Amino acid sequence: MKRYLTVPVIALILLPIWLTPGSAAGGVPTDQIKSTVDKALVVLKDPRLKPASKTKERREQLKQILFARFDFTEMAKRSLGANWRRRTPKEREEFVRLFSDLLERAYADTIESYGDEKILYVGERLDGDYADISSKVLTSKGDEFSLNYRAHFVVGEWRVYDVVVENISMVNNYRSQFNRVISNASYEELVRRLRDKAAFPIQKN
Amino acid sequence: MNHSRTDVVVGIFVLGGIICLGYLAIRLGKLELFGNAGYVVYADFASVAGLKLGDPVEIAGVKVGKVESLALADDRARITVRLEPQVKLQEDAIASVRARGLIGDKFVLVTPGASDKIIVPGGKIRETESPPDITDLIGKVVGGDLTSKSEKKPE
Repeated sequence: MKRYLTVPVIALILLPIWLTPGSAAGGVPTDQIKSTVDKALVVLKDPRLKPASKTKERREQLKQILFARFDFTEMAKRSLGANWRRRTPKEREEFVRLFSDLLERAYADTIESYGDEKILYVGERLDGDYADISSKVLTSKGDEFSLNYRAHFVVGEWRVYDVVVENISMVNNYRSQFNRVISNASYEELVRRLRDKAAFPIQKN
Repeated sequence: MNHSRTDVVVGIFVLGGIICLGYLAIRLGKLELFGNAGYVVYADFASVAGLKLGDPVEIAGVKVGKVESLALADDRARITVRLEPQVKLQEDAIASVRARGLIGDKFVLVTPGASDKIIVPGGKIRETESPPDITDLIGKVVGGDLTSKSEKKPE
């Protein structure tokens, strides 16, 4: 009699664990990120959007796809680090905007040069509302590098707040750069530099 | 009677010596540990290559703690660090294993985060950055050069 009860009892105990987002069916964060990356790759490979005249349209589409998955507010907040807490809501808002502009300028060209890469999803680690998704990128030249996404679970979705390439965290990289400017000069100086960069787009070679 | 009195004196001397030695040993031993002040947090890394017990934990170049243990947890390196009691780490603080110079001593660098949540004693530093493997990088540079040369199309 007792033995028949064991299974339902164990199921009942485990049920709440299954239902929490963190452990919900292993692979959900990977699936969500994969679908975003796949969508971006479709746009990148689309021959109709290849010509230079379509660059703007293509970039707009990419932006829409990536903005849905990447949590730029969280990224900006983490990149600014301890200084974030000292800023007013208005300053924070402006910083997030400047920061997303910075990312767009820094990575748009790089992302647009991709297309023939193979992406393998090699693992995922869950920790409550946080996930670490590891992938490997194989370039057409045969090079290979690791690309990890750190994501957190917000309003029913996994959203990326850090990208780690070859063990270098983008957030940590920006955090130390921003902190250096702030401690050498001031927060105002940092904002001024970010604005200058926005006004004069960097030329690539 | 006389004989046994000398014995007692010698005994006291030896005992005193042993106590002194013991005290010295404890003092020297404890000096390394700095008592048990502060609190412990842990962090998981993909690799902590070169990190040793007792290596410093730094924030902005200032030592705020030390590595207390290194162990393996689920194929990852788990280190526990003891931090000074007045040090507060935000939940999104990032711990990274760094080296002084290219081949210098390793240490754990913590960059403070923006979160309002503080990591509680016994808690976990979730965000970590493992040291890039220098040999790996060199291999990649060399390997990358070779492949790109061999694949270069003749103009």
